[in-house]
Amino acid sequence: MAIPILTAKRTTKRFGGLVAVDELDVEIKEKSIHSIIGPNGAGKTTFFNCVTGFYRPEEGEIQLNSHSLIGLLPDEIVRLGIARTYQNIRLFPSLTAMENVLVGLHCHLRANYFGIVADLPSTRKEEKEATEEAKRLLRFVNLTGKGDLMAKNLPYGEQRRLEIARALATKPRLLLLDEPTAGMNPSETQTMMDFIRHLRNEVGITILLIEHQMRVVMGISEIVTVLDYGKKIAEGPPEEIKRNPIVIEAYLGKGSAAETQGVAA
Amino acid sequence: MTGVFTLWKHGVKTGLLGGLITVLLSLMGMVQAFSERQIVSGVFSMDQALLAVAVVFVGYLAAKRTTSTTPLWVVINSLTCGFVTAGMIMLLLVIGDLINLRAVFINASPVLYQLLSFGHGFESAPLLFVAYPLCSLFAGILYLLPAALRRMFTASLTCVIGAGILQDLLRPTLAAWGSLAEAAEWIFTANGLTEQGASALFLVISVVTLVWSLKGKAVRTGYKRLPPSGQKTLRWSGIAALLVVLFILPQILGIFLSEVLTIVGLYVLLGLGLNIVVGYAGLLDLGYVAFFAIGAYATAILTSPELGFFSLSFWEALPFAVLLGVVFGVLLGIPVLKMRGDYLAIATLGFGEIIRIMVLSDFLRPWLGGAQGIGKIPKASIAGFEFGMPQEIYYLILAGCFLVIFISLRLKDSRLGRAWKAMREDEDVAQAMGINLVATKLLAFGTGAAFSALSGAIFATKLTSVYPHSMNVMISINILCVIIVGGMGSIPGVIVGAAALVGLPELLREFAEYRLLVYGLALVVMMLVRPEGLWPEAVRRREFHEEEVDENNGATAKASS
Repeated sequence: MAIPILTAKRTTKRFGGLVAVDELDVEIKEKSIHSIIGPNGAGKTTFFNCVTGFYRPEEGEIQLNSHSLIGLLPDEIVRLGIARTYQNIRLFPSLTAMENVLVGLHCHLRANYFGIVADLPSTRKEEKEATEEAKRLLRFVNLTGKGDLMAKNLPYGEQRRLEIARALATKPRLLLLDEPTAGMNPSETQTMMDFIRHLRNEVGITILLIEHQMRVVMGISEIVTVLDYGKKIAEGPPEEIKRNPIVIEAYLGKGSAAETQGVAA
Repeated sequence: MTGVFTLWKHGVKTGLLGGLITVLLSLMGMVQAFSERQIVSGVFSMDQALLAVAVVFVGYLAAKRTTSTTPLWVVINSLTCGFVTAGMIMLLLVIGDLINLRAVFINASPVLYQLLSFGHGFESAPLLFVAYPLCSLFAGILYLLPAALRRMFTASLTCVIGAGILQDLLRPTLAAWGSLAEAAEWIFTANGLTEQGASALFLVISVVTLVWSLKGKAVRTGYKRLPPSGQKTLRWSGIAALLVVLFILPQILGIFLSEVLTIVGLYVLLGLGLNIVVGYAGLLDLGYVAFFAIGAYATAILTSPELGFFSLSFWEALPFAVLLGVVFGVLLGIPVLKMRGDYLAIATLGFGEIIRIMVLSDFLRPWLGGAQGIGKIPKASIAGFEFGMPQEIYYLILAGCFLVIFISLRLKDSRLGRAWKAMREDEDVAQAMGINLVATKLLAFGTGAAFSALSGAIFATKLTSVYPHSMNVMISINILCVIIVGGMGSIPGVIVGAAALVGLPELLREFAEYRLLVYGLALVVMMLVRPEGLWPEAVRRREFHEEEVDENNGATAKASS
């Protein structure tokens, strides 16, 4: 049994009368690829926002390696090793690709005000190393030579990859990907799936992703958690989830489960 | 029939627009105010230049908007535009003759009518229908000319008009150089250019721009082909030459122009500070003058014997003034940490007013001097050399500018500068990338306030007195205009913006009354024509001129493959 890297216990987030996340229990195993799926409005992104500190859940507990994340600010959480990307890409549009990645490196740099103004040797050395690291990351996501372009001028697929490079720059142990293949064509999707697998296998980062494309979810995840109206309705390996009547009902409505099974049989 | 009208309508439309502009300029009194100054002595005065530029502008617009590509239609449209504009002026003259417009428009005087009708009332008024269409026809032809020739004409005409307008600056400057004095006499008269001077200038600039448009590209590629070390030497020698010029400038320019330079310098200091807060960190601060006031008043209180608390020298007081600026920058930053955009602007606007009202108050009079301000602030001095005259204070301000530019340059591409820019782009994501918003915002407010307080301290010792009324909200707005017109986030942009928006109005006393109008116009025109500013950051320049980027990309892609 692998150790959980992230544990959510009875996490609840309400917006007025609406319960967006309802007593959710999730365990993410170290070095796994874990998907969260569910119909629109099921609370997937809200859960991401709770983990990364944008929202503070009203009840329950979220722990990273038994270190509580509740009440921490987003910048403190990213230092602990959780990075994320966004459903609708949120790069720094008027900064260059290079600068975007360098901002990701921010929390691993030490330079302070006086070091910068006096241009101390240590600051200069650190800046040089950061630039090298940023170049390496750009190469890693296959954006070599695009460093000087403004982020918003990059094509869509490259923006997605740049966003991942920026998240990787924070040196995360757990990477949250919010619909990484949204709006991609089949071949781009395949490349992204290979890339995610590569991240886990070669770099050793735990991946938690929200995804709508079933092909991706079933193709790469080891565990799938299904949310509906903020509640966990099913959890397990993809093959089980595919056959789970509750899941089919949540997606397609009552009665569909029987029909699909009938068709399948 | 309708087809012809659609082709023709833009000429009429822009003509009406031109008429509106020229009539408005006349009724506002701008035409009359400008009539004193001659551009080319006895031939062409500044009011005529103003109207001519307006007509050429709308004529060009008419040509540009013509839906047909036939040159004939372009010419017809621009000519129509000129006729319609002239008609509107004629209408103004007729109406002015029939009823007393002066009851409403105080500037609608007989002198104005004389100016508009070329000096002889209705006898010479028909000339309008020759002169205006000629101007707009010129614009139409300008539009049809190849780009190089168009650039040549615009550049040389702008230079002639510019030389005429800036005669007070150029003539004494040239005259001060013994051997050039004769040339100055040849080019300039007591009021305006001589005819031969104007034609010579026109020819020289034409030749220079033509040669540049033919050879300029070769020079630029030549520069790019130089090895990096060669480029570096060239750049450094350019900077060295600039430094030498800056150093000897006040000696050449004399007292009045040095005074103008000191004012521009103070605005450069303020602008660079606000550039950090607004340009880098994206925190719209409209109460920026507060820190200027704090710097000035701190210097006054610490040095002036009039209040009798302390009698420090300027140099002893300066660190305290700047430090106090930082403290207030941080203190006023704390309550607005959670505010964004418009809310931040309103809150900071309030802070600016609070500080001004405080220094004005009777309650604080024993400490801050009230409405009468604080006087007898000593001049700064180093080893017996006193910074008294504008030419001397210039060096003090120059040193301040160098310091502030140096700090801005270092911060710009550092970890902190990137954090500011990230925050400007998307505050939430910046935080998710590990940026501590509180510290980063306060550092921006503190740095901006420090620059502003430094400017205030120098301002206090320059005037040797401080008054509450020089700390009003207009200063904050002027500085904001300077950085918008110059180019947000760009250091050279701030300098260019300050020279254009603060320096030029000081030089042209005719503009003084229309300063705000010119600011508004400058902002609108900038937003339409050059939203990135006069001298934008390299990255932003690329953003607004994407076609050039694509060209470059293509070139690099070819080079790499």
